[in-house]
Amino acid sequence: MSQSPVMERRSPDTGVGGRGPAEAAFIRIDGARKVFTQRSGGAVPVLDNVDLAIAENEFVSFIGRSGCGKTTLLNMIAGLEDVSAGRIAIAGKVVTGPGQGQGVVFQQHALFPWLTAVDNVAFGFRKSGLAKAERCRRALELLSLVGLDAAAGRYPREMSGGMQQRVSIARALALDPQILLMDEPFGALDELTRIELQQELLRIWEARRKTIVFVTHSISEALTLSDRIVLLASNPGRIKRIFPVDLPRPRLRTDPGFNALYQAIWNELST
Amino acid sequence: MTRKLVQALPPLAAFTVLLLLWEAGVRYGFLKPYQFPPVSRIARGFVELSTTGFPTGVSIWSHALTTILRVLQGYGAALALAIPLGLVIGALPVVDKLTAPLIVFCRSVATLSLLPLVIVWFGAGELTKVFLIGYGCFWVMLSNVIAGVRYVDPTLVRAARTFGLKGLELYRSVVLPAALPRIFAGARMALGVGFMVIVGAEMIGTIQGLGALIMEARTFYRSEITIIGMLVIGLIGFAISAGLMALERAMLPWAGDLDRVRR
Repeated sequence: MSQSPVMERRSPDTGVGGRGPAEAAFIRIDGARKVFTQRSGGAVPVLDNVDLAIAENEFVSFIGRSGCGKTTLLNMIAGLEDVSAGRIAIAGKVVTGPGQGQGVVFQQHALFPWLTAVDNVAFGFRKSGLAKAERCRRALELLSLVGLDAAAGRYPREMSGGMQQRVSIARALALDPQILLMDEPFGALDELTRIELQQELLRIWEARRKTIVFVTHSISEALTLSDRIVLLASNPGRIKRIFPVDLPRPRLRTDPGFNALYQAIWNELST
Repeated sequence: MTRKLVQALPPLAAFTVLLLLWEAGVRYGFLKPYQFPPVSRIARGFVELSTTGFPTGVSIWSHALTTILRVLQGYGAALALAIPLGLVIGALPVVDKLTAPLIVFCRSVATLSLLPLVIVWFGAGELTKVFLIGYGCFWVMLSNVIAGVRYVDPTLVRAARTFGLKGLELYRSVVLPAALPRIFAGARMALGVGFMVIVGAEMIGTIQGLGALIMEARTFYRSEITIIGMLVIGLIGFAISAGLMALERAMLPWAGDLDRVRR
């Protein structure tokens, strides 16, 4: 519980997936701060001085209570939100907006309800300059990657929550991004569907080699998926501790190592 | 199908019993026919209205047509102005903030309270009636279009931004389609307002139109004609609204069950 939580974040290089400082950080967050200005004019610090380095092909989860700024941090990496101070860089290039190799999977209901599954995925190619037929072909290919070829013509309201999130993943993969940013993508799903999609995600991650940053509320989800778990604390949001997960995949909940880590993270979260 | 029929039976029976009681009440002198005209009298009135007409020579169909044309003119003009204007205001938060109080104010002014002023402006002719209908429809439509555009789910906008869309392209391919259900709902609400205004708008300067018919019937204590006028207005409003809903279903097949969600 009281193991020096600050040590790891002060030296981000040593925190890179246990692969050592020799491997350059792919996503580098240096002293990132986020301040929201209220209507009344007051400033609320949401994230304070976050340092983090994420290696290429690493799977990192952000975990923490509501309001710890984990989604804000994800949005800043996505380039959807400005950094108030500090900087975030991807492959050495400072993030100034979306479209720098970040694909994003949002919480539920982020599909365009007026587009069918295949058109939602094809939307990802809007600015790609590809011909329409080619966009459609690739969209179908991505749909079959997530196992949804049969539902290509369905509107989001005609699909279950799990199917919708599969489409979301396919859409995020459209431009073949190096980074997949996922904001509680399975949070609203039932337990069985959630486990299914976790396995699916690991399969895609291994097949396509992506760097994944995954925001979740669930300790066991983070443990099932991640190479490292970044625990954030609130008021203001900051990195409290980083847990490397050195367990072989596929990970079993019954594994003693899994349980020990679960307990450690729980203890840290509940203090 | 048979099950639906069986389900419709009890309310239908209750309704019939009510009408029969009403009829009997008038016949045995408990109710005055000029206050509560019974079904038989309404039916006779309807025959008179569709043959001789009331006033003589103006049939119910001619009244209905006049009213429909007036409503459609005012409604159409209101939509033609409110939709583009709302799309622009909704896209510009600053303009929205500036105009919001004015829009709420104008929408809250009871349309018919403008009648004397509008007569001073345009006289007691057609334009006055169409203007009043248009006024009522316009503000309802405008506030719905603005709201539709303003309250698009920010996640959808974010999702589009991750694919490099911004500015006008983002507006056209995400904000606009996302706002369409609300815009359609606004169009249906505005139509309702149009039919609410019509009776008052047709109160003066005309003997044509369902509103005029209703007022004229009052003068002659022909309550059954007032009721017929009411029923016909209701039916027309219902038919046009159903048409709008069919159009909406055809144009927005993705939006789900409209009947149950927002009527």
